[in-house]
Amino acid sequence: MATATSVVPDLAWTKKISSPHELADYRQALLAGMDPDAPCIRVCCGTGCKAVGSLDVLEAMKAAVAAAGVDVKVMPEVKRTGCHGFCSRGPLLTFQPQGLFYQRVTPGDAAEIIQKTAVGGELIPRLLYKPPGAKEPIAKVGDIPFFAKQTKVVLQRVGRIDPFDIRDAIAAGAYEGLAKVLSGMTPQQVIEEIKTSRLRGRGGAGFPTGIKWESCAAQPGRHYVICNGDEGDPGAFMDASVMEGDPHAVLEGMAIAAYAMGSDRGFLYVRLEYPLAVQTLAAAIRQAEDLGLIGRNIMGTDFSFRTSISTGAGAFVCGESSALMSSLEGKVGRPRAKYIRSTEKGFRDSPSNLNNVETYANVPAIILRGGPWYTSYGTERSAGTKVFSLTGNVHNVGLVEVPMGTSLREIVYGIGGGIPNKKELKAVQTGGPSGGCIPIPSKFLDINVGFGKLAEIGSMMGSGGMIVMDENTCMVEVSRYFINFLVEESCGQCTPCREGLTRMKETLTRITVGEGREGDIEMLEEIGTFTNSFSLCGLGTSAANPVLSTIKYFREEYDAHIHDKKCPAGVCKPLFYYEIDPETCTGCGLCRKRCPAAAVEGEKKKPHTIHQELCIKCMECYRSCKFDSIRIK
Amino acid sequence: MKIVMDGKEVAAERGQTIVEVARRNGVYIPTLCHVPALEPAAMCRICTVELAEGRRSRLVTACNYPLRSDAEIHTDTPLLRQNRKVLIELLASRCPGSETLRELAERYGADLNRFPAEDRQCIMCGLCARVCERVGGNVLALCGRGVEIRVDTSFGRLSPTCIACTACVQICPVNAIRFEDVDGERRVIVRGKEASRVPLRRCTSCGARFGPVIDLVPVLERAGESGVPPFNASVCPACSRRNLARRLAERHFEQHAVEPRDAGEES
Ligand SMILES: Cc1cc2nc3c(=O)[nH]c(=O)nc-3n(C[C@H](O)[C@H](O)[C@H](O)COP(=O)(O)O)c2cc1C
Repeated sequence: MATATSVVPDLAWTKKISSPHELADYRQALLAGMDPDAPCIRVCCGTGCKAVGSLDVLEAMKAAVAAAGVDVKVMPEVKRTGCHGFCSRGPLLTFQPQGLFYQRVTPGDAAEIIQKTAVGGELIPRLLYKPPGAKEPIAKVGDIPFFAKQTKVVLQRVGRIDPFDIRDAIAAGAYEGLAKVLSGMTPQQVIEEIKTSRLRGRGGAGFPTGIKWESCAAQPGRHYVICNGDEGDPGAFMDASVMEGDPHAVLEGMAIAAYAMGSDRGFLYVRLEYPLAVQTLAAAIRQAEDLGLIGRNIMGTDFSFRTSISTGAGAFVCGESSALMSSLEGKVGRPRAKYIRSTEKGFRDSPSNLNNVETYANVPAIILRGGPWYTSYGTERSAGTKVFSLTGNVHNVGLVEVPMGTSLREIVYGIGGGIPNKKELKAVQTGGPSGGCIPIPSKFLDINVGFGKLAEIGSMMGSGGMIVMDENTCMVEVSRYFINFLVEESCGQCTPCREGLTRMKETLTRITVGEGREGDIEMLEEIGTFTNSFSLCGLGTSAANPVLSTIKYFREEYDAHIHDKKCPAGVCKPLFYYEIDPETCTGCGLCRKRCPAAAVEGEKKKPHTIHQELCIKCMECYRSCKFDSIRIK
Repeated sequence: MKIVMDGKEVAAERGQTIVEVARRNGVYIPTLCHVPALEPAAMCRICTVELAEGRRSRLVTACNYPLRSDAEIHTDTPLLRQNRKVLIELLASRCPGSETLRELAERYGADLNRFPAEDRQCIMCGLCARVCERVGGNVLALCGRGVEIRVDTSFGRLSPTCIACTACVQICPVNAIRFEDVDGERRVIVRGKEASRVPLRRCTSCGARFGPVIDLVPVLERAGESGVPPFNASVCPACSRRNLARRLAERHFEQHAVEPRDAGEES
């Protein structure tokens, strides 16, 4: 396996950029040296693709180019980039300038790609993407619905640039917003622009960013600008992808925020479980300092802003603002019970502005193109775009950026490609462990995803996790899963969260193993209401949402578990069994072959049967049956 | 600033917490983790009340909410009573023996046996840790996370910095911390486990063991209160009292120059 040693260009000897105008000259010089039509292979090296071996593909592609060197007129450049978003098809690469898209690439394909596509200009059909149900594969990125239906503002450069080379980012427009701010905007004007854009925090609560900046700027004393890169929601990877794919957008956003609030010091709080994000950010800070874009006297002006990375140990609760600041101070990461905003008294008791990674990444584009441009995306109450990490039972698992107000149908079916294995969509979970489960197929499939709308129906936007669940999802098990997560992540200092969640977990566990009792649902509601109203921090006051929302929308499933001792979705093992329907079974024998426990018996072309005492309920037969003959009982 | 508490206007000063105002005006708000001498931590949450400031109405903890503007407070609504009941029931399962909880249970109609007991002999009010920090000891702290959170010394070892002041013993509302003076040492015992052993002084007068040996300088440093004169008694309280009495008597006789009477001489 290739190691993560990507060459980070050393720019220490480059002349610092000494005025905001010089940045434009520098960019022109960089662009002059680049041929937009030159062939370039962008290998996705985001965390998802890396996990399936994209670094090996990268090395193999480089080697293949070098080996083919002599007979190619214009050698394609092989570039390492951040996440392209289409994580379920990795390792993947795009071939510029044509915009070809190759997926599930292995190092063994490298030589062929160079020979056939780079030299010969032919496509390799095997590596093309074929949408579910389609006959013909699609060759170009722009024609693939997953990409074509997205609107990229935050992710504009993610997947296009080499995150380890600031020159690539500058050529693509990084730091232009900061240059604009420094060449004539006052801090008030910056804040006004952000207020006009109606940008709301992307970290969960959706607090208006401009107003937060304004109230922080109004405080006396030294100001701190802090970026929340803790991203602890299970199944969320938006912030990781931004930090890994375009760290400069975050740094630039923070620098603009610092300018607006008169701050000279920033911190990036990133969890240590994001090693790649820590690497890209560290390289980005160093290179930006070398070029005079961050640090002392930025672009030759009086404005100085130093920033550094602090790594957290990955506690979910450390994403909460007061816990994060305690942790930054070197104290235990527990939320503080203080009725005072951190914009007034936060880190080191000084006015501190905390924003999410994605919030900061929105800022440069807003400054550059103006607040009104930003509000042209999204809805009245939720302006702009939002990045979602689309996961679960959906074809196209990955990172998706759409304007606020896009319908769930468009996200799940249009972009996500629908539900695999001809299953029915059952629910969509948004907002991570603090969010709720939105039941579908009722009227909710066409709701417009935005801060207000989601809250209205008992869920929330959260940071943008979106888990799609098909008919084989047990909602009791889902709420048990989230409560279990929160019990492990609770800091334990306040009574409701510590004791209440523990009791709820016990009760839910009992229900899923068939020991549910009369009154359990009412008790869950009682404790859930209690934890939601009496807890100390946001973790506790939203912890019961997954339970309360599933009880509200899927009460009959709880009843089935408790009264009939049945799990209708076929998930809770003690509460169901598989049976083969003799009417429709053709006796093809596939289930018999697939069964790892040898529990299926039957002669060819005759209906098969399952030995219940041998069955381990692994679902293999259920999944493999082509005739829907296996029933959950 | 106009503060209305449970329908009655009450006297309050700007910046006072709701609990302070309530205590001053004889309004009952239950607390488990609050003592006036310590910075509030708002951990137990039982003092949660309903607060309406302006148009917004919300739940806040009374022990640490500073009143800064006109407000209307409800301290005993059905919603609060219901949630306090659940809170007491949940806490009772981890500390079944608590007298405080029993009294509260009566008030709020809580069933102390609703949840199966798992006796941890602690209601997790954190007072011991906070008072320890306040006196500069930093011996006891809240360790671990989530359900496993507990009061303990660093790494669960005998503490080398404890001064055996026993403030934690005094403050614990469920009597889970005690101390013993044995073999010339004072042992502080938290939930049956020894937290520290501090040698006891020997009285220079009578030879009896008394109070712990305290190296005060670093303690005062940690507490950040320089200039407090260190006391370093070398005699036990009983001898000290006896010595003082003797000195007083001697001075009295000196001042009044009363000749001690001779025994047997009648006037
Ligand atoms: C338990 C808990 C976990 C949180 N985790 C995160 C997180 O991982 N990332 C994040 O940006 N915000 C997180 N938040 C929200 C932050 O407290 C805060 O609202 C946010 O960072 C503010 O930035 P914004 O205004 O840009 O959204 C969390 C909140 C709570 C209560």
